Amino acid sequence: MITIVAAFAASALAVSILPAQAATTPGVSATEIVLGMQLPQTGAASPGYNKVDDAMRAYFDYVNSKGGVHGRNIKLVVKDDAYKAGLTVTTASALINKDKVFAMVGSVGTQTHISVIKDINRRGIPDLFVNSGYSGFYTDPKKYPTTFGALGTYVTEAKILGKYVKETFPTKKLGILYQTDDFGRNTVEGLKISGLTFEARKTAATFIAGTQGSLGLDAQMKQLQANGVEVVFIGAVASAFAIAVGAAAKIAYRPQFVVISVGSDATTFQTILGAGGIPAASSAGLLAGTISASHAPSPSETSDEYVKAFIKINDEFNKGPDKRWDNNVLQGMNIGYLMTSALLGAGKNLTRPGIINYVQSNGAKLSSAALAPLGYSATTHEAFTGFWVGKYDAKTALIPVDSPRKLWTTDSANGAVTELKYTRPAIAADALPKVG
Amino acid sequence: MKSMTKRKLIAALGAATLVVTASVAITPSASAAPVCATAKSIETCTGTLTNGAGYLLKMPVNFKGIMYFWEHGVRPTYPGIFSVPTGVEEIAPTSANKNGVTDPFDISKEMLQSGKGLASYDGTVKGMRGWNVSFRVEMIKELIDITTAKYPQIQKKVLYGASGAGGSLTEFVEKYPTYADSVGLMAGVGAPISVNGQSGCDLFYLLSVFADPTIKGCAAMGGKGAAGWMAAVGELQKAAALLTAWSKNLGAPGLEYPAALKGSGIPQRSALLLMGLLGGVPTKSLHMDGISTNAVIAEHSINATVAILENFQYALGTTVITGNSIGEMIGPGFYDNTKTNYSALLDEGDAGRYNLGLSGDDGINAMLGVLAMAPRVTGNADTVATFKAMGKVSYSSTLPTILLHNEADRLVQSGNTAYYVDKKREAYEAALTKWEASKVGPKPRFNTLAIYALTPETYTKFTAAGLPDLTGAGAVSGVEHQSFTKKQMLAWVGMLDVAAKSGKVPTGAYVEYLATKVPYLSGDLDFRPNDLKHYNK
Repeated sequence: MITIVAAFAASALAVSILPAQAATTPGVSATEIVLGMQLPQTGAASPGYNKVDDAMRAYFDYVNSKGGVHGRNIKLVVKDDAYKAGLTVTTASALINKDKVFAMVGSVGTQTHISVIKDINRRGIPDLFVNSGYSGFYTDPKKYPTTFGALGTYVTEAKILGKYVKETFPTKKLGILYQTDDFGRNTVEGLKISGLTFEARKTAATFIAGTQGSLGLDAQMKQLQANGVEVVFIGAVASAFAIAVGAAAKIAYRPQFVVISVGSDATTFQTILGAGGIPAASSAGLLAGTISASHAPSPSETSDEYVKAFIKINDEFNKGPDKRWDNNVLQGMNIGYLMTSALLGAGKNLTRPGIINYVQSNGAKLSSAALAPLGYSATTHEAFTGFWVGKYDAKTALIPVDSPRKLWTTDSANGAVTELKYTRPAIAADALPKVG
Repeated sequence: MKSMTKRKLIAALGAATLVVTASVAITPSASAAPVCATAKSIETCTGTLTNGAGYLLKMPVNFKGIMYFWEHGVRPTYPGIFSVPTGVEEIAPTSANKNGVTDPFDISKEMLQSGKGLASYDGTVKGMRGWNVSFRVEMIKELIDITTAKYPQIQKKVLYGASGAGGSLTEFVEKYPTYADSVGLMAGVGAPISVNGQSGCDLFYLLSVFADPTIKGCAAMGGKGAAGWMAAVGELQKAAALLTAWSKNLGAPGLEYPAALKGSGIPQRSALLLMGLLGGVPTKSLHMDGISTNAVIAEHSINATVAILENFQYALGTTVITGNSIGEMIGPGFYDNTKTNYSALLDEGDAGRYNLGLSGDDGINAMLGVLAMAPRVTGNADTVATFKAMGKVSYSSTLPTILLHNEADRLVQSGNTAYYVDKKREAYEAALTKWEASKVGPKPRFNTLAIYALTPETYTKFTAAGLPDLTGAGAVSGVEHQSFTKKQMLAWVGMLDVAAKSGKVPTGAYVEYLATKVPYLSGDLDFRPNDLKHYNK
């Protein structure tokens, strides 16, 4: 006990002799910028997502190999939240307090991020390029001033897919399967704005996110089949889509699936069905014909200049356990590219308010692989404002339904869906973003 | 708001036989001189205040000039299911029920060894228990007067206390600002009791809507004497019966109430989770970390639901002790929820984070929809106004004040400490604005510091059958009420010591340093627990 008492006597003394800490920006030194990210690296939700961080880090390592940003190397610290929101709170705290990150970047998940977004914003920490399309994070910057998306919103995407389906399948009976949370609600909202509504327990089937693995989706698919639904929208995560397709296959139900893009990731789809004993060739067949959307080129478009450059960087710098090129790697690279743009634009005197102001004011200047511009402004922090519609082929590549490809744009409110004319800035020869 | 040590409330309620004694009227009389004896280098003095309350002083021979005056929390008024205290229970910071399996312990030995003088008194004298914080203000003053007269060598005074002491100490330092050199609140009530009480009463109300329509909750509190107490305990017993059932079936059966939701498929545990979230009950408890899962507790929101179940009984018990005593003072009818918008009390983050446990958006909307239409409790307008005015303070004290709170305190929600800091900051900013206009006198200083004891990241254990183990040791930090490690309490006292000498709370750098030495003490100066649900009321 004497030890404790003595220790506290000594520590009490230390109060008066500790020097006042100089005012510095957390996570920024003369030589380094520390960024934090949360995502499921393990657990049921991890397939596919668990490649995003390695791809981001690969791009940052590439930037560092070229001298970093304003002379500082970028360090990415990643925490595995296993897609458990309770754990997200803890990992965010560790990133903020132990790792002293300058900003959060590319964090994955709606239900996980919603558990920390308020605290991150309260602290004034930049919360950049979040991998969630939930519009509630972005459409009111007064509520979440530091948060910016990395995806187009689910509402925007649903409106664009809704328009396509309405025009392409005017006589087909439409239905929907959605998870009863922010993601699903956003999807239903977007489709409703498109003029597509559904009838509860007939053409609309629901499930509680997280139960698809334990309870399955057999009942929902039977319901849709029994009601003669020919086109099924999916407003749900990729694991749910995979389980839904598996459930439909069991009852010989083969509707036209139309899936919000984060739910149709081919890697996740095939990994989950593979765990259930369905070989890759068969799962590719089940995915084939599915309609989805994207704001970026398909990873299969290897002649695209960004895709080509990112593949090269991935080959050389990705040290992750699974560096196979796919959409997750493409998205990770693209967020790394965007983040580098933001850091460059914010300048050498890097501060948290500085980068937030820069991103908010210069969305149009931030180039990336995306085929649509960023929507950032003082009134919205939505990311990509346009999507193209595609259909998966037998090799799990998303192929545009239009030739030449058409981009569509709209907002997360009641605005019309119109064709987007956007010329993406070319990537530089050194594959580094240029600002100013 | 003392924790229920070594006895589980539910079990106690089942076997409770109320043996009620009438409270004794207080008759002021002159306080007697302290009677002192010295043993093992410590002089121990006892005596009584003018109202008959006992006090206790301990003065070490190596006294270094700082006297510590300890203020305990709220105590039950009547016997039966709770132990009614007699005499001075605590002389120094006490961990009430460490891990639920260890006897209470204090740090008096360590404080005395390091040359600190200790003083305390019995704030429950002659039946003046329950929420008697305003009554105790003059008792504190008298104790300090007696002690400083007895020991003129006292150079500095630290005034500190736990739980309900937050109310009495905050009132005291505003009335007698020269009576302390630093102030400490441990697991303290930092917001007006009406803010806390509204949530406690809400829990009873929500139980009446979703589980047992016969529950009257706070509407049944406030009857005088033993009969009134028994009526309040009856409400607690109804709630305990529900909690006991849920602890056995994990709330799996479908809702029976309200009628509109019968057959909806929403399990009772979803309503339990919703009730806890609306009432601000922590989603971490002694045994449940809100994260860990297995085959039975398949998702983190189910873990959090069990945490709420484990915490719920204590929140209700506190409401009964405090609410009934308030009702005795100001009359029944102090609770009114006719204007409460329960939908607004469900945090957006909670609705997303616990979506599965709440049966998805459909379940949430159904429960909140029915709740919006459920009959409300209409209080007595005058009594409600009196309740809201109780313990109103200005938070204007400029004394260095350091607060220590558990992240997941089950009785006095940690949002109390955040509330206190917010109000102190508002007062400081107003004073600063005034000073900047005049530049007269010393420039105001923000002199309040809050530190939190956090839980381990994960600590839930499961039995061989896969059920959560609710009988083991539990979390080593951050949970329960007035429950801290010895190192945490000593660190807090160490800071109060320095603050008394310097007139300033420690720097942020020091807190960060301390956090590296004291397990689970947060060095995060921006840490903020969930706000109290009726923060703005």
